Amino acid sequence: MLEKLNEIYKKALVDIEECNGIEGLQNVRNTYLSKKSELMSFMSHMKDLVGEERIKFGQVINSIKDDITNKIETKRKDLEEKRLQEQLEKEVIDFTLPSVEVAKGSKHPFQLIVDEVNKIFIGMGYDVAEGPEVELDLFNFELLNVPKDHPARDMQDSFFIDDTHVMRSQTSPIQAHVMQSKNGVGPIKIIAPGKVYRRDDDATHSHQFGQIEGLVIDKDVSLANLLSTLELFSRKMFGEKRQVRMRSSYFPFTEPSIEADISCFECGGKGCRLCKGTGWIELLGGGMVHPHVLEMNGFDPKEYQGFAFGIGIDRTAMLKYGIDDIRKLYANDKRFLKQFNTK
Amino acid sequence: MLASYNLLKKYVDLDGITYQEVADRLTFAGLEVEGISFLAEATNLVIGEIVECENHPDSDHLHILKVNEGDKYGINQIVCGAPNARVGLKVIVARPGARLVKHDITITPSKIRGVESNGMCCALFELGVDKLFLNEKQINGIEELPEDAPIGEENVLGYLGLDDIVFDINVLPNRSDALALYSLAREVGALFKRKVNIPEPKKYDEVPTNFTTSSDTPCCPQFSIKVVRDVVTKPSPLWLQRALMAQGIRSINNIVDIGNYVMVLTGQPLHMYDLDKLKGTDFSVSEEYEGTLVALDEKGYEIGKGDLVVTNHKEPVCIAGTMGLLSVAVDENTKNIGIESANFKSASIRRTNKKLGLSSESSAHFQKGINPYQDEFVLDLTAQLLVELADAKIIEKTSRYSTLGVNDTKIDCSVSYINKRLGVDFDANKVIDVLKTLNIRIEDFDGDNFVAFPPDYRIDLKCDADLSEEVIRYVGFKEIVSKLPFMPTTTGGFTPNQQKRLDIREMLVNNGLNEILTFNLVAPNFDHDFALLNANDEPYVIMNPMTVDHSVVRRSIVPSVLDTIKYNLDHQQKDLAFFEVATINTKNSDFEELCIALNGNKHIRGELEKRPFDFYDIHGYLESILSMLGIDKNRYKETRLKDSKFYHPGRTVQITIGKEVVGVCGQIHPNYAKDLGPTFVLDLNLTKIFDVKVSTLKMAQFSKYPSVNRDYAFIVNKNVLVGDMIKTIKKNAHSIIKNVDVFDVYIKSNEDEKISIALSLTYQDDNKTLTDSQINEVENAVLQALLKEYGAILRG
Repeated sequence: MLEKLNEIYKKALVDIEECNGIEGLQNVRNTYLSKKSELMSFMSHMKDLVGEERIKFGQVINSIKDDITNKIETKRKDLEEKRLQEQLEKEVIDFTLPSVEVAKGSKHPFQLIVDEVNKIFIGMGYDVAEGPEVELDLFNFELLNVPKDHPARDMQDSFFIDDTHVMRSQTSPIQAHVMQSKNGVGPIKIIAPGKVYRRDDDATHSHQFGQIEGLVIDKDVSLANLLSTLELFSRKMFGEKRQVRMRSSYFPFTEPSIEADISCFECGGKGCRLCKGTGWIELLGGGMVHPHVLEMNGFDPKEYQGFAFGIGIDRTAMLKYGIDDIRKLYANDKRFLKQFNTK
Repeated sequence: MLASYNLLKKYVDLDGITYQEVADRLTFAGLEVEGISFLAEATNLVIGEIVECENHPDSDHLHILKVNEGDKYGINQIVCGAPNARVGLKVIVARPGARLVKHDITITPSKIRGVESNGMCCALFELGVDKLFLNEKQINGIEELPEDAPIGEENVLGYLGLDDIVFDINVLPNRSDALALYSLAREVGALFKRKVNIPEPKKYDEVPTNFTTSSDTPCCPQFSIKVVRDVVTKPSPLWLQRALMAQGIRSINNIVDIGNYVMVLTGQPLHMYDLDKLKGTDFSVSEEYEGTLVALDEKGYEIGKGDLVVTNHKEPVCIAGTMGLLSVAVDENTKNIGIESANFKSASIRRTNKKLGLSSESSAHFQKGINPYQDEFVLDLTAQLLVELADAKIIEKTSRYSTLGVNDTKIDCSVSYINKRLGVDFDANKVIDVLKTLNIRIEDFDGDNFVAFPPDYRIDLKCDADLSEEVIRYVGFKEIVSKLPFMPTTTGGFTPNQQKRLDIREMLVNNGLNEILTFNLVAPNFDHDFALLNANDEPYVIMNPMTVDHSVVRRSIVPSVLDTIKYNLDHQQKDLAFFEVATINTKNSDFEELCIALNGNKHIRGELEKRPFDFYDIHGYLESILSMLGIDKNRYKETRLKDSKFYHPGRTVQITIGKEVVGVCGQIHPNYAKDLGPTFVLDLNLTKIFDVKVSTLKMAQFSKYPSVNRDYAFIVNKNVLVGDMIKTIKKNAHSIIKNVDVFDVYIKSNEDEKISIALSLTYQDDNKTLTDSQINEVENAVLQALLKEYGAILRG
């Protein structure tokens, strides 16, 4: 009888092994473990046995039953895993197909510069001031020490609307507006970005362009302070290694007036195409606010001193991003615009 | 302004200093040397004589020359194409190895059509001389040297007076004095602490004059005439021609050249009258003349009151400071000359030049400002040159009118002021020394305070701040040690409106839009379009536009943004989503405008998955912007904009807050979008929107009781607005309908008058769990209201 049991056991193992589907496995289970199965029918023989033999027989038949049950369960897990694997393989996709576009546009490079400069100076405690683009001659020129028929007017060929109104040719009139609003009491620390207009049009000049004006007024503000402010700014804007040098220049509203150059950020000062071999790049103009300008705008030049500077936005954008023609800034070609999509 | 380095060296000792050092020093001191050029630039030159000249057998124009180049180089064969090559002619030879720098040519021994050639006979332009200074003969052939030219001479440029270096100096408006070579020499002398030698003009035995001078206007405070007789007009000597060439001036004849040369040296414009063409001896300056005057350029100019005119015996003879009249001009037959040296006010000359559209080298000098205290020096110098170079015989005494007196400019200043302004700690003696080196006279120096008297030619020095600039530009900005300002702490930052503008721009960028930047000045037809936010405003118009395309200050940025879309479509760019924020200035209002424009498709997965932009895309931006600013839907009103020719009547809304129109949102009218295709625009007056007062952000409680959703489908007429239905629902909901979602809109066909709208309502109470009967009660009220107001029939 034990041989017979062993035979059934072996046959069951073969059936389980050969089974290759969940459904077939259920049939195997029915064949060997259901109440009517051959194996279970042996249980009825138990009652014919006694003592040791009965115990032994019971043990054998139970162990065969348990083993078949386990093997079927193992086989079922294998088959399920196999089926899942097959399914997953069928679900393979091409990961290189276009993905859903998480919308990402671009700031205009002109505005990128404005936003960055604003951020740098706000970090130093500056306010951001603005003013009208159609400006009074009074603010655009006269309060900045440029009376009517002054030769310095030739430096800025302006668009006039009538005898008193002009398209502002510089952001400096914002200085005058801010000073007048303070009634002669400092301190003033402002940055003033904006569009300005001059009768000029070529590869490096546009009749509309941008400037950022800076103005600091207090009781003990000096040219040395301007130098260090420009150093801080250019290092943030163009890299930690930037040097700043000042050259003598002329603006009617500053005295002394300077032009500031920064060491070339392309070659580090060795000389290259960008800096035309000089190692330096012209960055901005500025100087100490002219005593007349302070006086005309309500500040006592004996008590207050200040510095002012003006940065060309377009020029800075062209330098920083390697833009070769100012007209590209204003053509707004999508192929140009979408490049400026990183912070 | 051009400056000859040879001329500079004539007046200031520059031994041991290179021209590059001079240029650099000037640049840092505020007289920027923008360019350095050479009158001529060539090496390996020698003077030779053509000793044989035969025609080239294989050419109809080439000659085979034998040129005697002196003892050192002997006689060499040169093939030359110049028509004027001939035996006996003295020529400039560029020997093998010579570099003709401006033309980037190196001369090498070669064969020209089979004949050996060892060098090249040169024209002056081949050595680098600007053709402007050469006559036709000099341009078409080789240069013909004088018969006494020394054969074998190798310093050819020196011999020709072409060994000069020219600085191109950017003279800024404050340093008009540097337009005079004498001033430049003084500046260079000061910068290098070198001796400056500007000779006093020679004194001649002068005879009395009959001429008188006067001025009727404060715009001419000084006017002098000096008469010089019996001059002979002839070509100028080579040195003068070359000096003028270096200054960029063509030599005409000795008389004209002397006038130009004196202006180069002193910065004082001169004018010369042919005395024999004048009617009288009385000169005057007036601004009362009215009439047409024919100037030297043979053109007529309308002169009116306020324009300065020089008169002789009441007859006009010169448009003062600008151009003389043809009728009294000197010519090659002139014998007797009246030389004018005057001071005309810059502002007056500027006004007249602008009005007449006429300017000259002289008027440019007057416009920039001249030294008013040197007329006698200038006239004496001119007389000397006329004697030396034009054989003048009789010099009359200068007739001089002046109200100027002596220079009384006086500046009170102190060393401590200069140090404070510059942020430095310079030694007092050093500061004083610098000022003195710059020819500023110092008096009453007490160790700190002093009084400064600038030299006559420095008309720009007027106040103490000017002196601080003199000190720093002299010692160099390198002396300044960087130092951060020490001042009261300021918080800094954006104003609330500036911050809102930045937030909106960044939101739009982060939503896939490209920011653009367009011109504020537009064509007049551009301005008429789309100014819906300020339709009644009057635009500013430019008085002096460069082109009509940029002649009006725009009232709306919408046309510019649409134009940008057009530009991109024309350049094969499609699927465009642009925005711009710009300031609008009109005669009536100033505000900031935002325009968003969408055209083409919204891409979800590139070309693989996309759909056309529609009204709900552009309207979504409107809702998001207002919601981000904290402006609730009940704060603004949207009404259909039916009667605009710019917008699609069925797909556009106008946004109002209170009584004011703050924006337009919708589709561009097909008539205006023919080239564009469907285009959707949001046009907002940001200034008005930013001004809306909003409450501060506070957390709102939300109900902890369960909610119930019920779905309804209604049949309504197609002109019913779902938004209106939702308002009605909320009104009748006793605040227990928390949400209304539209989840289906079914339109069977465009002809059908009825449409089906499916809504999902969320019922929820803040304080209790709702029972069915409570919900039913509200539901009934809502359904009744919808039926009554919109004829909305609930579908079974």
